[in-house]
Amino acid sequence: VPEFDFRGICLIFSDFRLMRRFCLSISLLFVAVAAAIAQPNGKVQQSVVRISANDLQPDYRAPWNAGALQRGTGAGFLIDGGRIMTNAHVVSNSRYLTVERENDPNKYPARVLFVAHDCDLALIEVASPEFQKNMVPLTFGGIPELESTVSAYGYPIGGQRMSVTTGIVSRIDFQLYTHSAIDQHLAIQISAQINPGNSGGPVMQNGKVVGVAFQGYSGDVAQGVAYMIPTPVINRFLKDVSDGRYDRYVDLGITYSKLQNPVQRRSLGLAEDDRGVLVNTVIAGSASDPHIKSGDVLLAIDDHPIASDSFVELEGARVEMPEVVERKFKGDKVKLDLLRDKKPMTVTVELGPLLPYLIQGHSYDVRPRFVLYGGLLFQPLSLDLMQAYQPQDLRLRHYFDFFVSEQIYLEHPEVIVLTNILADPINTYHAPYRGSIVNEINGQKIRTLDDLAKAFAQPAEQVVIRMVGDGPPLVLDTKEVEAARERIKTRYNVSREQNLSAELPPKPAVGQDQP
Amino acid sequence: MKTLLRCYFATIFVACLSGTAVAQPRPGTSPSPSPSAQPPPVAPVVPASVAAVKPKELSLVRVNVTGQQHDYTRPWQKKAPFQKRALGAVLPKGRVLVTADLVANQNYVELERAETGDKTGAEVRVVDYEANLALVEPTDKKFLDGLTPMQLALDTVVGDRVAALQLEPTGALVVTEGLVTTVQMMRYPAEVSQFLAYRISMSMQYRDNSYTIPLAKNNKLAGLLLRYDPRSQVLDAIPAPIIAHFLKEADDRNYRGFPSAGFSFFPTRDPQLRKFAGQTGKPGGVYVMSLEPNMPAAKAGMQVGDIITAIGNNEIDANGNYVDPMYGKLEFTNLITSRAYVGDTLPFQIQRAGKPMQLNVVLERRAAEDYVIPPYVVDEAPGYVVLGGLVFQELSRQFLKEWGGNWQKEAPQRFVYLDRFQSELYPEGNRRVVVMTQVLPANSTLGYDEFNYLQVTKVNGREIKSLRDLAEAAKQPIDGFIKIETHEDPKQLALGATQIAEEAQSIQENYGLPALQRLD
Repeated sequence: VPEFDFRGICLIFSDFRLMRRFCLSISLLFVAVAAAIAQPNGKVQQSVVRISANDLQPDYRAPWNAGALQRGTGAGFLIDGGRIMTNAHVVSNSRYLTVERENDPNKYPARVLFVAHDCDLALIEVASPEFQKNMVPLTFGGIPELESTVSAYGYPIGGQRMSVTTGIVSRIDFQLYTHSAIDQHLAIQISAQINPGNSGGPVMQNGKVVGVAFQGYSGDVAQGVAYMIPTPVINRFLKDVSDGRYDRYVDLGITYSKLQNPVQRRSLGLAEDDRGVLVNTVIAGSASDPHIKSGDVLLAIDDHPIASDSFVELEGARVEMPEVVERKFKGDKVKLDLLRDKKPMTVTVELGPLLPYLIQGHSYDVRPRFVLYGGLLFQPLSLDLMQAYQPQDLRLRHYFDFFVSEQIYLEHPEVIVLTNILADPINTYHAPYRGSIVNEINGQKIRTLDDLAKAFAQPAEQVVIRMVGDGPPLVLDTKEVEAARERIKTRYNVSREQNLSAELPPKPAVGQDQP
Repeated sequence: MKTLLRCYFATIFVACLSGTAVAQPRPGTSPSPSPSAQPPPVAPVVPASVAAVKPKELSLVRVNVTGQQHDYTRPWQKKAPFQKRALGAVLPKGRVLVTADLVANQNYVELERAETGDKTGAEVRVVDYEANLALVEPTDKKFLDGLTPMQLALDTVVGDRVAALQLEPTGALVVTEGLVTTVQMMRYPAEVSQFLAYRISMSMQYRDNSYTIPLAKNNKLAGLLLRYDPRSQVLDAIPAPIIAHFLKEADDRNYRGFPSAGFSFFPTRDPQLRKFAGQTGKPGGVYVMSLEPNMPAAKAGMQVGDIITAIGNNEIDANGNYVDPMYGKLEFTNLITSRAYVGDTLPFQIQRAGKPMQLNVVLERRAAEDYVIPPYVVDEAPGYVVLGGLVFQELSRQFLKEWGGNWQKEAPQRFVYLDRFQSELYPEGNRRVVVMTQVLPANSTLGYDEFNYLQVTKVNGREIKSLRDLAEAAKQPIDGFIKIETHEDPKQLALGATQIAEEAQSIQENYGLPALQRLD
């Protein structure tokens, strides 16, 4: 996994580290802006907007709090239906959004229509009818040719007004989308300078949008490497939301390996050609379970032959096999020709999202879930939790890193961790249990946070919490816990003792009557 | 240079320990409960210097060691030779005491008289890597003539002054005095159990690259340096009582090492835990957290959840300490590892669900090879099997340590996890974990070069619990294929029996392998 700049290229004013990191490129930006003035493209400029987001960043270390308020800006552009397209990371966790455009003094409140965290795209809308005056919706093109010139529009660091930079298409490949940190899709590398604030802006060629600028390496890792989301990903997103909701990407839910070893091919009964990949693991409960089994050899997907290096030919281009699935939607079917125990067979898999791996990615627009009991804070394991606490505990790190590959999710769909202890006389000896994973409470297996909340709610004289591993049980006297409740709440300013739903409180409606 | 490098590692080691203790609720015999990382900051009232040494009465010889470590990343070869210099303490019966670290993986040991520069070859007679002690004897029996053997200073306590002894290149004695600030149980480099150690506050300069540094009190041997952190100027030492234990065992023809009981424990400070365990009467004792199978505590009938309240007449408090007649409060494991011997029977007073009982525990030694993943392997060449370019080894901590001082973070994380939780993951013991560690690219491994660090579960349908199992199973191909099943993806690999036989010699020559396998 390449080392990416984590927050994509969304400009966060409070982050001075980011500011400093990108200040080298400021002088270059001035050159680019000057070029844009010399060769104006009025139509595009009027359709590109600046988006200011006010975010609440959840605080996983004090999950009862609303979180820290942060401001950031990005770009967006008008598309059909009066919608503005931008990056998910520009509007994620936002509680209040405003949109501005060139040559208009007003700030327009906006609302999020759809946000797709797995492909870093979002659609927002401005209610005011005034807003769209003189704006022309931009339309989408295809995948630009390698070496062809593209122009990136946005509001990056270096000035207040819109900036345009140009560059060429350098590479078309699968890339990790750093917004979620777990999803890989097609991305196009361009040599145009894009910087914090470019995020969500259109990348144009021949008057059409060929991509949305979204991430890049910081200058101290690699120079001039920027990425845009290409139109196949954009079109998929637009099609997905056309039914009024976003369903996420679908996944086969398998791991596979190449079959390039001649002996291994023979041992699996394969012909002397270069077809087929070996199924390694089928993730339990995924779309492929139970249709595909470990040890199967996949020969074709929707009648596209799969090469032994896992590539398929799609519309004249060689792409990795998952690209076939990438273009499909929840409920769509995919046909797989395979060899099982040397016998050919065909299976049809109805596609759905892959859930277990979500804990290894970032969550947005959610309120951290937790249970506080006797001053002990219990939270489900996730990437956000790991980043907030940076635990050194080997078992915990193992449960996180190997959650999917070791199928830990089967026993613990949620890994409930004792993350913190709000010190009080009733828990004064419990510090050694910090970082432990809850296994049982009063003999009941704990598989989810809801299980934990239910177990604590049951009447009992004492709760006996068994952690995963050899440690002794953590024992609490329920009467003492009850007596300590108010004391702990007051002392630590805890507004609520549990949150079992990740849903955020609704945002107030944005004013229609504003200019 | 060597010595400096070593103390750098020592610093890391201390830091590692405290990190583990914070993160892991696993105190017990093997992992340490709370090695207080630093000595108390307040210096006690210091008596007049009692360490005072008279150079002429100190019998020290230089020990020069040339050795080679086995290379666990290329198990068929040894690493480049190293040289270590040290200062050994001359003991009765013509023996010289050094640390085991010094002679680990030695090829040649040499003694040198500091005052004359005379040299002779020497043999390692007894070595204990857990207690980090070794005895060497000169091949020329008269070599030590004229040196008065050193006696042990067994009476060192907190507040005493001891002197670190080093030599200038000229042979002149360099004495640095320090203050014993703590006597407590500490982890030794082999990381298998804890032993008694002195923590000494000392501002010491290394001289002459000495690897083993003796400590003296009143001209008697008080201990040997275990590690030194020059930043905090804290020196940990192997104390004379541990040396005495080692020497007593070494006098036996059959060296048995230091004993253990095979359980881990947790303090019972928490009244709610005591109540849960059904403890009655006076609070105190430790909660038994886990038991090693087939080890003394389990054999004696000890159970998880028992509370150990005393060993013999030594009452154990809720923190796991007893009152030692010499040192005061000390962790009770000292009664097992340091004060008792293999074969001794210790009467454990326990409470089970509130009922007092006595368990007679007959102590044994748990050797490194008794672990599923051995905590250390020294002197022995690691085994390996090369099948058509795939290299298989048994997982050991020595292999993981090839990732350097930060191996717990840098080494393959699943293997680190297996090592740490081996007793939990393999409670039945009596096996090894066989892993494929690398691929030597060849025709038979074409397309396999992306795979490494895979745990082997089966070969040709047979379960693999040792390298020998693997070598045997590989001889029984199915339909001409050797099928290797792995815990991790890709789950299965295949080799052609004929192909690997044909290719064996060219792989051996191409990669400079002296042999395609080494089984113990």
